[in-house]
Amino acid sequence: MDFFLQQTVNAVSLGGTYALLALGLAVVFSIMGLINFAHGELMTIAGYVLMYCGLAGLPFVLSIGLAIGAATVAAVLMERIAFRPVRNASGATMLITSFAVSMVLQVLFQNLISVRSQPVLLPPLLTDSVRMFGFVIGVNKLLSIAATVVMLIFLDWFMKRQKTGIAMRAAAEDFAVARLMGIRANSVIAGAFALSGLLAGVAAVLWVSQRASVDPLMGFTPVLKAFIAAILGGLGSLRGAVAGGFLLGFIEIYLAAYLPPEWQEFRDPIGLVLVVIVLLIRPNGLIPAPALKAHKV
Amino acid sequence: MLTASPRNMAIALAAAAAFVIVAALVASGLGAASERVLSVFFISLIAVVGIGIYSGNSGVLSFGHLSFMAVGAYVSALLTLPAAMKAATLPKLPAWLAATELGLFPAILVAIVVTCAFALVVGLAVGRLDGSAATIATLGLLIITHGVIIGWRDVTRGSGTFFGVPRETSLWVAAGWCIAALVVARLYRDSVSGLRLRASRENAIAAGAVGVDMKRERLISWILSAAVMAVSGALIAHFLGAFSPKKFYFVDTFQLLAMLIVGGMTTVTGAVTGAVTITVVTEVLRRFESGFDIGAFTVPQVFGTTQIGIALIILFAMFRKAEGLAGLKEWEERVFTRRGAEKTAATLPAVSDRSALTAEHMTMRFGGLTAVNDVSVTLRPGEIVGLIGPNGSGKTTLLNMLSGVLEPTEGTSRLGETKLDGLPTHRIAELGIARTFQNIRLFPSLTVEQNVLVAGLSTGSGEDARARAEAALARLGVAGHADKDAGTFSYGDQRRIEIARALACQPKLLFLDEPAAGMNREETDALMETLRGLTRELGIGILLVDHDLKLINSLCDRILVLNEGRLIASGAPAEIRRDPAVIEAYLGTSQTQDDPAEPGHQPTEENDP
Repeated sequence: MDFFLQQTVNAVSLGGTYALLALGLAVVFSIMGLINFAHGELMTIAGYVLMYCGLAGLPFVLSIGLAIGAATVAAVLMERIAFRPVRNASGATMLITSFAVSMVLQVLFQNLISVRSQPVLLPPLLTDSVRMFGFVIGVNKLLSIAATVVMLIFLDWFMKRQKTGIAMRAAAEDFAVARLMGIRANSVIAGAFALSGLLAGVAAVLWVSQRASVDPLMGFTPVLKAFIAAILGGLGSLRGAVAGGFLLGFIEIYLAAYLPPEWQEFRDPIGLVLVVIVLLIRPNGLIPAPALKAHKV
Repeated sequence: MLTASPRNMAIALAAAAAFVIVAALVASGLGAASERVLSVFFISLIAVVGIGIYSGNSGVLSFGHLSFMAVGAYVSALLTLPAAMKAATLPKLPAWLAATELGLFPAILVAIVVTCAFALVVGLAVGRLDGSAATIATLGLLIITHGVIIGWRDVTRGSGTFFGVPRETSLWVAAGWCIAALVVARLYRDSVSGLRLRASRENAIAAGAVGVDMKRERLISWILSAAVMAVSGALIAHFLGAFSPKKFYFVDTFQLLAMLIVGGMTTVTGAVTGAVTITVVTEVLRRFESGFDIGAFTVPQVFGTTQIGIALIILFAMFRKAEGLAGLKEWEERVFTRRGAEKTAATLPAVSDRSALTAEHMTMRFGGLTAVNDVSVTLRPGEIVGLIGPNGSGKTTLLNMLSGVLEPTEGTSRLGETKLDGLPTHRIAELGIARTFQNIRLFPSLTVEQNVLVAGLSTGSGEDARARAEAALARLGVAGHADKDAGTFSYGDQRRIEIARALACQPKLLFLDEPAAGMNREETDALMETLRGLTRELGIGILLVDHDLKLINSLCDRILVLNEGRLIASGAPAEIRRDPAVIEAYLGTSQTQDDPAEPGHQPTEENDP
């Protein structure tokens, strides 16, 4: 039972990170139909900022703020430079553009920073663990869960109570009509990218605090998982992205914990097959996007 | 069966073969290094056209095709690996496999069969998803396959190198298979299945309405493309002699996709253009990667020069030419445009089966809104029935339910004795109900002729498809447009082309959703004559939605009036004009006794869900 609870904490922690990343993807996708492959590079940027701040001896809390800020700014710049020219193009065109952006950034990191993985200085508190309810939990896991909860509450408030957030939801349901209502396309898209950058930044801090290192391809794997989480939840659906992120986290952690040793090698394929089974039952994801219902003939 | 002109196709195929042969001759003259580069190019090109067969024709980008390449590579390599080598490196292989030692050619054939079986299973699953979700699902396929190959150590040596494969892929072997792949891809694009798939790429709903079973066509192209990928995988395995699962993962996926997309994924010309461009740029940049001198300056070694080069080409292509360097047409389609269609003698056959469409208690609810509420209608071949009502009264929703685009919340419909409930749109089209759309839904980058031909090919078992298509175009007076892209025409022409396309389905019943919208008086009058001809000469039944009450009144035998989702009146035009409920619905008051046709209800854009 203890083992199960322990694994559940791990699952919530990992699932939360996936959920934040998937949310960032979903915010952008729901508005402009772009699957942003360069989302992972936003994470990597935040990771490198953490690394440099650590080297410069800045307090960790300040480093976190700078890292998240850097990812947010980078996301807005990315939209302005690379995605605006292809804004009204097909999904495939945008996807491939984002993939090229991702490639350019990776090569820049390799040349300007290092090809190899770099250590990130973390406060010793993060690597500690505490005893709670009779079992041991890493501080980083607890903080990660707390950060996820705070971000989800913030996002819910932002999307429901803030003008920009409501505008984004309107744009996600029907961009053309939203623009006719006086919502500015540039600002709502820039806002969506800023939000996705913010979420990527927070996810990057959580990711790095578990691993204490950063490399040019750091963002690739988690964002790949986030893509799958976003589909699992329902592409373009924000609630779906959260649900998908957590479900994927649970699937991965429980498989790692309970799959017999001889099957462990097939853990990732088995996890994905489970995802596929869910999708076969619900082809539009766990919580389909509202835009699907507004589909016109 | 081919849908393109045989002469053009022969030219295209001969040119593709000539291109490969000339390239191979040049390279073999230049020495071993060039031969290697060209062999890799040929193998990559096979993979690029392989992905293109599915992604190009269906419009669904796939990241998963390298799994098929991997299956092809491992299966063929396991078959050709010398038995002694298997005993040494893969001791746990089952006995029958350990003893097998095939040549490259039979090994490729087996690899194709195994890969196709694998693709069939995967395709049935992926086929349930659409658009971006399907794309990400193929990404999942890539990860799953990679994971299984790494995990299945007894057969694949896991993440380690699979070595000792006989290097049997010579330049000419690669060239031969490359020609075969180009021919297959080019033939498929202009086959019946390929044309149907391209129509569904342009507009999935319209494709269904003219009888295209999109899922089936997607599955066919998916399996065919998997077969081509298997060849590419087998060849690269037997070219390198040693490979690891990494060879079939993200890096190569992106490189091949870059080739396909930079060139233009909808054509074979594009695949070749992209493969040549990326290969040339990669080869040039590779020489600069380790640093070089320009005059007095020394440029230092830069990691990933080729990667940056490829990325910049992609960005350039996406910003400047989003449909790819080669555009949307094959080269010979641009060069050898066909002459305008000759006068056709073909005529459309009259409707023989006169069974009626009966719909009872049709109801459609969208959340809390009841768009159509308990409406029952009957429609017989040979009559023209008008369906009118104020904006938002549920006319288009009713059409959508009757044609299978929407599944009614309640109600049943049948054509003669055949129940239509729950049938997909393409089955309903096959049964003889064709339609047009309020917001025109043509296949914009197919020619007018292809637009109509695909309808003919997808209904009535495809019999006399070409004759039906020509006759339909002639009847609507748009035969002269046959060779141009449908998307380039004026609103009125597009409406006529859409009606011709519906007519090519050889329907018993034809639903027209605001056919006269965007037409002037003369055009509307001409359209009226055409529609009369369809009922009088061919016996087709027409259900006509329009806001032009003059058109409705003078054309229709019966008129149905909807208001707020309910059928409030039905009868002959003269009765409808006097019906107080109709007058109230149109004018908002029952006091006036004006003819609703008189106030000149303006045709307005309507957007019923």
